[in-house]
Amino acid sequence: MFWKRQIPIFIVTVIGSITLFGWFIDQPNVKEFVGDDATQWFDVLASFAIILGALNLIKLQLQKVLYQKPGWLYSVVAVFGFVFAIIAGFFVKGVDDSVAQWGAHVTSDGTLFKWMFDYVFSPMSATMFSLLAFFVASASYRAFRIRNFEATLLLASGIIIMVGRVPIGGIISSWFIMYLIVLCLGIYVNSLKQDMKITFVFVAVGVSVVTIGGFITGWPIDQPGIFYLPSIQEWIYYYPNVAGARAIMIGIGLGIFATSIRYILGIERSYIGE
Amino acid sequence: MKDRNFWIVIALITVVFLVYWLLGHPYFITERAVMLFSIISLSATLMYYIRAAERGEEFYLRPIPALKAVEEAVGRSTEMGRPILYVPGIQDMDQVETVAGVVVLGHVARMTARYETSLNVPVSRSIVMKAAREACREAYMVEGRPDMFNEDMVHYMTDDQFAYAAGVNGIMVREKPAACMYMGKFYAESLILAETGNSIGAIQIAGTASQAQIPFFVTACDYTLIGEEFFAASAYLSQKPELIGGVKGQDMIKLVVIAIIVFSMVMMTIFESTGFGFNILEYLTIR
Repeated sequence: MFWKRQIPIFIVTVIGSITLFGWFIDQPNVKEFVGDDATQWFDVLASFAIILGALNLIKLQLQKVLYQKPGWLYSVVAVFGFVFAIIAGFFVKGVDDSVAQWGAHVTSDGTLFKWMFDYVFSPMSATMFSLLAFFVASASYRAFRIRNFEATLLLASGIIIMVGRVPIGGIISSWFIMYLIVLCLGIYVNSLKQDMKITFVFVAVGVSVVTIGGFITGWPIDQPGIFYLPSIQEWIYYYPNVAGARAIMIGIGLGIFATSIRYILGIERSYIGE
Repeated sequence: MKDRNFWIVIALITVVFLVYWLLGHPYFITERAVMLFSIISLSATLMYYIRAAERGEEFYLRPIPALKAVEEAVGRSTEMGRPILYVPGIQDMDQVETVAGVVVLGHVARMTARYETSLNVPVSRSIVMKAAREACREAYMVEGRPDMFNEDMVHYMTDDQFAYAAGVNGIMVREKPAACMYMGKFYAESLILAETGNSIGAIQIAGTASQAQIPFFVTACDYTLIGEEFFAASAYLSQKPELIGGVKGQDMIKLVVIAIIVFSMVMMTIFESTGFGFNILEYLTIR
């Protein structure tokens, strides 16, 4: 218990405190530890730990193949890839020492390892990444479906941001948007009052006001700015969006701080299984 | 003055620091004094509420739907006889979000042990694999079901981001888990995972502090723990007084931060428009 409980907590407390308070100490050794050594220690530990991961991976895949569990053919591919990468990394360079030395062969052109990386690994990674485009489309479709007020607001903001950020957004006159708003408000008034006369008067007055305003000002494309799409998208992007994002950031920052303090002081011990 | 010991320690720390300051504060980076003061004050606030909770003071913890849904999801998986997939992010244990993800995994593992549901935890880092195994092992022991624990329920896949996403997607499509939980640090793979989970009809619960991924999870998952809620999950699930006290302390700090923001805004407005007062940003900026 002592080795599995007290020692880890002690290490976390000491290293955590040094790292936290080392930020305020002007002493080269402490500075070096906080800025460099501590993270390097972690990297060294993580590098050794990769062996554990690799062993676990190969063990599970081999078990699947040996016992012919469902989907065992995929495991054959995984085991083959694993063995191939080890051979290409440690045993077969594919080129002479004059072209690439051991170690440098992982990044040198013409080697077996580089071939594997360029023609097998990279295309497959790119394939997974490119799937994101389709997933974004399906997720956007669900998010933008008009179900309630928030979803409608999201849809409207999304359209404004998308159109306002492309060149065509800049040539849509603010007067056109104003006409569009009058017509949308007309639909709203009609659904509210259910009276054609009121709707007609509302739309007629709205259209007249916009038209008169246009004639007086000379129909400038970007005036009034609050109806010009690039200006609206900029406002949405830099004000409501940033305000919301910062609120979340402050919450996250405090959460991280509180969690770290709980770990350093040994109050939260769940990470060692307690 | 309910907590006399707490105030005595605070007084002692203050006196020691004052003496150190008066002695010329060797090795101390003076420009960072405000930051040190903030850290000590915030830590003290947290400690005060943690101690208050330990003394028996009760604090209200607002219900978080996503955390209530965790038990629901485990129950659903049990009824359907399908496993639960738990993804603790793609980063290592040096990220506090991964640590928080492993902590929540411990609570989920207790539930799966109780309900006798199978749990599948693919990880992308070896150290996370070891930590997650320990958390699961302990959870099954605590629930009195060490026989149900199998080391391979937590298994390593790969360190590479998209290879990991492909592997987890493969598990989802082949095993069709009834519930998928994503708790940790995520990047672009978040939507790939969540959309695949959505396509197999799994109940999905996500928790992350990765700001850019929150919208994706909100869109594709049934429940999402946003930012600080994720860090409060451990307190909520364990109902331990000291952890709940920490959440209360965090809320009080938030109140102070809001007050400082409003005060600074007023001070800056007065300073910039009239020249009266001082530039508060000089003191609040991190150096």
